[in-house]
Amino acid sequence: MPLQSFARAALPLAVLMVLSAASRADSGRGVDLEFGNALLTRAGGANETPDARGTSWLRLGQRRSPSGNLYSCPLEPPTLQEIGEWEIDGHVQFGWIGTYGDEDNALWSRYVRWDSGLILGLLDLALRRPADGSYANVRASRISSDDAFFDAAFGRAGSYKVQAFLRELPNATSDSAISIWNGVGSNELTLLPGLAPGASSSGQVAAVAAGVTPQRLQVVRSKTGLGFDAYLTPRWTAYAKLSNEQRSGARPFGGAFFYNFLFPENAGALETLRPVEDSTLNFNGGLRFVGARWRMDVAYDGSFYRDTYRRFRFESPFALTPTRPGATSAPIYQGQFALEPDNDYHNLRSSFTRRLPWNGELRVSAAAGRMSQDDGLIAPIDCSGTFGVDIDGSGVPSATNRFLHNCSDWNTPAALSRDSADLRIDTYSFDSRVTLQPSSRLNLRGGVRFNREDYRNTYLAYNPLTGDYGYITENGAQASIQAGALGTWNPLTSPSVITRVRSLPLDRETHAADLGADWRLAERRTLGLSLTTQRNEPTHRERRRVVEDSAKLSFVDRSLDWLTLRANYTWLDQHGDRYVPDPYASAYSTSLPGFVAPVGGVPAFTVDAMRKYDLADRREHKLDLMATVAPADDMTLSAGLRGDWNDYGAQIGRQAYDRTGAHLQWEWQPSPLTHASVHYGIDRARLRMANVADVVFGPDGSLGGPDYPLNARWWAYDKQRNRTAGATLDHRFGPVRIDAGWSLVDARGLTTYRFDSPVALAYFADGLDGARSGSFPATRYRVDSLTLGLSFALSPRFSVRVFDYYERGRVDDWHYLGLDTARVIDHRVYSDGGPQGYTTNLIGVLLDVRL
Amino acid sequence: MTTRAVTLAGTWVYRLALLVVLTLPSVHAQQTREDLARQLPASDLSGEQAQRSARQFLAAPGFALARVADNPLAPQATPVGEKVCIACHQLESEHFTHTVHALGLHAAAKADPAIPVCETCHGPGSAHARDPAGKGLILGFTRSSATPVAQQTRTCLTCHEGGARDHWAGSIHQRNDLSCSDCHNPMARFSGDGLLTKRSINDTCAQCHNDVRMQFSRRSHMPLAEGQMSCVDCHNPHGSLTAPLLKTATVNETCYQCHAEKRGPFLFEHAPVRQNCLTCHTPHGSNQHALLVAPVPFLCQQCHSQLGHPNDLLTPASLANGAHPDERLMGRACLTCHAQIHGSNAPSGPKFHE
Repeated sequence: MPLQSFARAALPLAVLMVLSAASRADSGRGVDLEFGNALLTRAGGANETPDARGTSWLRLGQRRSPSGNLYSCPLEPPTLQEIGEWEIDGHVQFGWIGTYGDEDNALWSRYVRWDSGLILGLLDLALRRPADGSYANVRASRISSDDAFFDAAFGRAGSYKVQAFLRELPNATSDSAISIWNGVGSNELTLLPGLAPGASSSGQVAAVAAGVTPQRLQVVRSKTGLGFDAYLTPRWTAYAKLSNEQRSGARPFGGAFFYNFLFPENAGALETLRPVEDSTLNFNGGLRFVGARWRMDVAYDGSFYRDTYRRFRFESPFALTPTRPGATSAPIYQGQFALEPDNDYHNLRSSFTRRLPWNGELRVSAAAGRMSQDDGLIAPIDCSGTFGVDIDGSGVPSATNRFLHNCSDWNTPAALSRDSADLRIDTYSFDSRVTLQPSSRLNLRGGVRFNREDYRNTYLAYNPLTGDYGYITENGAQASIQAGALGTWNPLTSPSVITRVRSLPLDRETHAADLGADWRLAERRTLGLSLTTQRNEPTHRERRRVVEDSAKLSFVDRSLDWLTLRANYTWLDQHGDRYVPDPYASAYSTSLPGFVAPVGGVPAFTVDAMRKYDLADRREHKLDLMATVAPADDMTLSAGLRGDWNDYGAQIGRQAYDRTGAHLQWEWQPSPLTHASVHYGIDRARLRMANVADVVFGPDGSLGGPDYPLNARWWAYDKQRNRTAGATLDHRFGPVRIDAGWSLVDARGLTTYRFDSPVALAYFADGLDGARSGSFPATRYRVDSLTLGLSFALSPRFSVRVFDYYERGRVDDWHYLGLDTARVIDHRVYSDGGPQGYTTNLIGVLLDVRL
Repeated sequence: MTTRAVTLAGTWVYRLALLVVLTLPSVHAQQTREDLARQLPASDLSGEQAQRSARQFLAAPGFALARVADNPLAPQATPVGEKVCIACHQLESEHFTHTVHALGLHAAAKADPAIPVCETCHGPGSAHARDPAGKGLILGFTRSSATPVAQQTRTCLTCHEGGARDHWAGSIHQRNDLSCSDCHNPMARFSGDGLLTKRSINDTCAQCHNDVRMQFSRRSHMPLAEGQMSCVDCHNPHGSLTAPLLKTATVNETCYQCHAEKRGPFLFEHAPVRQNCLTCHTPHGSNQHALLVAPVPFLCQQCHSQLGHPNDLLTPASLANGAHPDERLMGRACLTCHAQIHGSNAPSGPKFHE
């Protein structure tokens, strides 16, 4: 169903439902459950005045939650205005902010867009009608045109709620984009004046790039939504939510014109700037019943993604040169991408729960869904005239000039086996769960689960115009550099070419079962054990069956007044059936009748010893300790220790991935007027992997064989360390409130490697100095920030807030080393210069008015 | 008009009382719980307030079945009515009055005198009123309360069963002895919505999961620290079909909620992408670009050792400032050419080049 038709049908339906009944967002479904922005989380809050009287006359100080955390002090009760039967409370915070320093930096403004000038900090309006429990709320904030929200709700407590929202969310994708193209943000990139498509030298491109002013790129999500929840009766509720999201902007992307590393001064690797212009309509609705014995929930989710563009085109500036002496390359320069296809998603699910004796429950959930798309397919190549290698200089494809090809045989959807994708995945899931409490000291639970994904239809890469199977690689660049490397198989003209000819349906099934028990050792002390087994059965993967067995021990102790201790230990073993390194044969031309093995045999797809880590044998030990301590009535100390150790049974592939961490947090609430906190955390990650280079294209995939010799092995070790620290202080002196915050984020990463011999290296000569190990420059990310705020009440209705938020960021990422001096390196173009450090200061003066 | 006058008079009486209490805190503090118990007004369960109301509404369906909660630790206790509770818990009442619970319960109590207010959650109050210090005589939801956590949650679920809480029984939070009141505090309005214990959802979750919150400050992260997203966009803390409390049946479906363009299906798919987004991405924060779990190209080289170019070891000499720059290492590394790594819908895209 076209999007517009759906919208036309769904919107009136939603509105009708709203009028007849009406919404309440809950944590069980959907997104957009809370609205905020960086101002409110970092610098706002002038209106929030704790009640100096505390929580209770009967007891000084704050009580603690069952887990031991101190409750916050309630805010001062609002002063309500009465209009008829309605009571109104509200305030508006507005004023001026200014940003100074590197305000366009993408790390500083990753998900926030500060515009110096007047802003609406927060409008918060609440209306209540005590007579029947009706209410209406409005919250809104706008710190720039790309960063704002408006959330309004009305309803009657326990009866219905209608909610509508608008929000703008910015996402900076680059602050240093240098484009050698016109049309950034559109789906058509054309080279800047001064550059000839397919005929420019590296120097010419570099000269043009040097004259381009770097620009900031971002993608803005604009969302609107409408939802309702309604009690139809005390037992039945209905709910629905409809939202539409539009994304608009651009981000760094790619563009392949074959290997520049292999063909210096030839080919091309282009970091283009792709458009992001799409919309997604989401609908969710359902009906629930909650009775004394039964509960039921039946719901439908629909999501409809629509991309403004089907294709993204870009021009390559570089000329291509064939490797064959005396020949010429066809002048191809047009690159293309198929952008994400429009897709539809439907999911119908239901859940039934029955109370059982022994305070138990039996729950059965089932769902069926469908993901589908039928986008029109773009042609295999976007060129006119010819592509390939002209060996006789005629410029005309012929039997003798056989490496030159007519674009017209490939630049049309008629060159495809079908003109649209027509793909679908059907999903099914079933889950059943039982919980029982045979005694007050024992809880039992168990469940089974089943998931299935069925791919419908496959795509065959076949060109009825030529009789070829396969596809044109890298926008025709490979065929225009390497004579004959068209990338297609033909039973008559190229019966030994190995190429991809089919899509790969990734059907899979998952079966899982679990059993567990929790023993109450004492009133506030529990020991739990959970046993789980899960069998994953993928198709067209290296394993047909992967089994995950795990056991988890849990211990909770709240028996001491001053301590809550939670400890969890998990042991997990992943194993499976035989690992087949090449399960993809059916998708390649080797599976076609008429295929003739090349001289020397069909090359091994990969090394036999490779174990892809999602399917590999794995042994995991995971430990998590959490403690909440009350050292004094007005303090809470939280501490955590955790470790997750993964050992993979792989000679080649991921071998180990270990993560450990600790954190400590102290909170102090000596009075309703004072709050302070300090926190510190550290965590480390260690990842070990191994690989092996190949030396010849042979049929032997064994490690240590002629194709993958042992001396071509290499290992990499990535270490990451993160430290975070922070402190906050909030205190009131009469009408004056001061607040201060400091935080530090300090991350450091180091990737080292070692290898058996220079054969392992991409550049053999690099290993001739005798060294067998090395490291990349350390990556670093450090952010220091400081907030200082002062709020003072001018009168019961008016208060002023002045704040300063300072942030300094430092970043080093070796991927971008050298790109600060040159964005054009041979036939490579890098539009994005990578993340940059920054220093910024945000100051603001906000007036808070109680309405 | 009369009602307004009564309200005004009540307000002044209250202010006067407040002044006395504030100026004489020591006198107040010297009162024992027993003293307070003796001063309690008579029970008020007459429905008089409902009869006084100028207009009559039916109780909202969500509160129509609200009744006095069971308290197994005080089986003989009987309801006393809100007025009796407020006699001692005046300040609590002031804060509670501005919550959506109070709004609904008060309106419902006016419509149907059988609907209690305080005692809907705290159980019958007579035993507690007689012996305010008696442990467990009133349903409490705090650390010091004698009410078991299971009883606390059961009380809340009396009204809030089903929906988002459908999978509470057996969920990780239930098994770890969490109470509703670890995250929610319905006695005052601390948060914009949801009656949370903290100002926001993220602050509430961070009480226990501060380590996860720290991950959101890494170089690439979801926009939680900026307030644009909350933990419950992906997780349902009340329980779900999955162990990490995801609110959909699979990781990928959770991601597709905001990244619908990745849903496909694509003409050519990348198997681990379809299997699980977390094969390559870490959801909360990463020191790498785009939430990747390891730096490219090593991320890709954990799985790709095919003949040709994917399995060569590249060294810093292949960076842009090195002796022989190589696009397999610089910038986006593998993704410079294999840009449509999440799946390609181009007939010439089996290797995600187009």
